[in-house]
Amino acid sequence: MSEAVSEAVLKTEKVTKVYTMGKREVRALSDLNLQVNKGEFVAIMGPSGSGKTTLLNVLGCLDKPTAGKVVLDGVDVSKLPERELYKIRRNKIGFIFQTFNLLPYLSACENVELPMENTKRPKNERRQRARELLKIVGLSGREDHRPYRLSAGEQQRVAIARAMANDPAIILADEPTGNLDTENKYEVVRLLANLNINRGTTIVIVSHDSQVASHTERMLLLKDGTIAKEKQGLHLVKKKLMCPYCGSKIQPNDERCPSCRKRL
Amino acid sequence: MLVIVALSFSLAIMISIPAGVVANQESTQNLAQRLNSTIIETEQQINQSTTLIECSTSSGSMFSGPPSDMSGPPPGMFDRPGSSFTREEFYMNESVVGAIGSIVGVKDVVPFLVKSSSESTQETIATPMGDFTVSRPLYTITGVCLNSSFIDEYYVLPTSITAGRNLREGDSGVLLMSLNLTEYYGVGVGSEVDVNGASFMVVGIYDQAGQNSMETRGVYMNLTDAQTTTDETGNVSRLDVYAENVSVVDTINTQIQTMYSNEINAREITVSTYVDRLANLQSQQTRYTELLNNTESTVAQTQSVATQEIIVALAATSLIVLFVMLYTVRERTKEIGTLKAIGFSSWNVMSQFMLEGIILSLAAGIVGIGIGTVGAPILSGVLLPAVNPFGSRSTGFQTGGPASAISLGPSTASAVVTPTIMLLALGAAVLLGALGSLYPAWRASRTRPAEAMRYE
Repeated sequence: MSEAVSEAVLKTEKVTKVYTMGKREVRALSDLNLQVNKGEFVAIMGPSGSGKTTLLNVLGCLDKPTAGKVVLDGVDVSKLPERELYKIRRNKIGFIFQTFNLLPYLSACENVELPMENTKRPKNERRQRARELLKIVGLSGREDHRPYRLSAGEQQRVAIARAMANDPAIILADEPTGNLDTENKYEVVRLLANLNINRGTTIVIVSHDSQVASHTERMLLLKDGTIAKEKQGLHLVKKKLMCPYCGSKIQPNDERCPSCRKRL
Repeated sequence: MLVIVALSFSLAIMISIPAGVVANQESTQNLAQRLNSTIIETEQQINQSTTLIECSTSSGSMFSGPPSDMSGPPPGMFDRPGSSFTREEFYMNESVVGAIGSIVGVKDVVPFLVKSSSESTQETIATPMGDFTVSRPLYTITGVCLNSSFIDEYYVLPTSITAGRNLREGDSGVLLMSLNLTEYYGVGVGSEVDVNGASFMVVGIYDQAGQNSMETRGVYMNLTDAQTTTDETGNVSRLDVYAENVSVVDTINTQIQTMYSNEINAREITVSTYVDRLANLQSQQTRYTELLNNTESTVAQTQSVATQEIIVALAATSLIVLFVMLYTVRERTKEIGTLKAIGFSSWNVMSQFMLEGIILSLAAGIVGIGIGTVGAPILSGVLLPAVNPFGSRSTGFQTGGPASAISLGPSTASAVVTPTIMLLALGAAVLLGALGSLYPAWRASRTRPAEAMRYE
C-alpha cells in the first residue's frame, strides 16, 4: 500500500460538495475518497445526478470542494486561491470535453498551441510540439484546418492533443465519446488507451457508457455522491497483452483478438 | 460589421464637430481680430482726427478729386492726383508753420511735403465693383518732419515695417520704401538709390497693404531731404494742425480761414476739420463693437453646442462598445470557460477582451476618420450653428476711414480635419474602446471555468 501512495497522482480525502439551491441543499459529493495512481486509466461511471461532473470539476480545479482535500501531484489544490489555480490547470491537468470546445476561429495547430500560450516556451517550439502531438493523434496534414472542416472524431482528437500540450500529470475527460458515433467512439477510446499504454499518461474519464468504460483498467461506480463499487476493466488485460476471452497474445493496437476475433 | 458602421458614425461625428469648431474658431478669430483692429483704429481716428485741422495744398491734399478716367469709385479711395515734378503746383511756405503754431489752442503743427514723380505706371485695382486700371505716379515722396514727439504721438510714418527699421529723429540721407517699390526696383535694405540725382540709402521697407493709396508706391524721408531733392526748399504741401481739444477746433479753423482767406479762395489751400465726421466714426465704432460681441457670443454658443454634442457622441460610442462587448462575452461564455479550464488566468482573459474592444473601436475609429474627413463640412454644418455676426446681411460691406478701408464679409467656415484632430480621435477611440470593454472584460474574467462543461 505504501508503494501505491507514493505513486498517487490524484488523491481525494473525504471530499464533500454541497450546492445551495435557494433553501434546499444538494449534496453532490459526500465524503468521497479516491486515489488515481501514476499511469492508471480510470473510468468514473454512474447514472445522471450521481455527481460525476461535479467530481470531475473538483478534480480538475474548476470548482472547489465544500470540505475535504484534493491532492494533485503532491499539491493540496483545495487550499489554493484562484490566482494560483490557473497554473495548476495549465501545467498539471489536461481537459477533454464532451463538446470538444475547440476555438472555432483557430486552426487545429493553433488550438493545440493554446495551452502553451502563456508559458515560457518559445513560439517555434510551441508550434513544433503542436505538430508532433497532432501526429500522435493521427492528424498529420490537418494542422491548418479549422474545426468546422474536421469530423467530430477528428475534433476530439485535436482536443486530446491540446490536453497533452503541457505534458500534464493527469488527463481528465468528461464524456469524451458522448457526442461521437460508434466508429469514432472506439477510435477515441483506442487513442486514449494507446496513449496510456505507450506514453504512460494517467487518464481519468467520466462516462455513463459502460462499453467505453470497460476499456479502462478500473471502473468506479458513483452513487449518491460517493463511490459505491469498483470493478476491473478490459484495459488491464490489454496492458498485459493477453486476450481476456481466449488468453492468446495480442498487440496494444489490435481492435479484435487475432485468434478468437472478439472485439477488444 | 454593423457595429463598426455604427461606431464609425459616432466617431465621425466626434471628429467633424471639433473640425467644425476649429474652422469656426479660426474664421471668427480672424474676424474678431480684424474687427478689433478696426475698432482700435477707429478709436485712434476719433481721438486724433477730431482735434486735427488739415491744411493741404492742392497737390498734397488727402481728398482730392478722382482722376479723369474714373467715375465709379467714391472719391479719395483709389488715387492721388497725377501731379508731377514738372507740373506747376502750389506749395505753402514753411513760415506758415510758425504762424499757425502761434494761434491760441494749437498744440502741434506737423508739416509734410508730398510730391509725386512725373513718370507714371498702370495699376489694376480690385474693388467690389470690378477691376479698375488706373494711372499712377511711379512713386510719391513724402517728406516727414522727423520730430520724435510727432512720430510717437501722431501717424506720420507707416507702421508696418517688414524689413530694416522705421525712420527716426535725426535721420538724413536715408529713406523708407514701400514693399512693392523695392520689388519694382529690385532693391533691399542697405541699397543705395538715386532720387532725382541725390543718393539715398534704404533703411527700411514697409508693407503697403492696408495703407492708403498715397503710401502704396511711397518713399518716406526727412522733410529737409525731401525739400532739397524735389527742389522745394522751404515749401510744404500739407500741415496737420492739432488742437489742444475738440472744443477749440472750430475757433482755430476760423482763424486759419481768416489768415489765409486769399489762398483758400483761390483754392490753393484746403482747410478741413473732422468734427463733422465724429458722429459717423462713432456710429461705425458702435457697429463694429456690436459685430464683435455678436461674433464672440456665437463662438461661445457654438462651443457649448459642440461640447454637448461631443459628450453625446462619446457616451454613445462607449455605450455601443459596452453593449457589443457584453453580448460577445455572453455569447462566448463557453469559450471563455474553456480558455480558463486549459490554463488561462483571469488576467489573460481580461486583457484579451480589453484588446478586442480596443481593436474594435480602433477599426471603427479609422473608418470614422475616413467618413469624418470626407463628411466634416456637411456634418459640422448640420451639427453646429453657423457663425454669422452680420445677421441677415449676406454681402460684405466696406468702410472708408481716413486712414484705411476694411472689408468684412460673413465667415465661410469650412471644417477641415487636421492631423491633430485625427490623432485625438484615434486616441479617443482607443480610450473609449478600453472604457467600454472594461466591464465586459471584467465579467469575462469572472467566468467560472466550469462553464466550459456546459453542453449545448
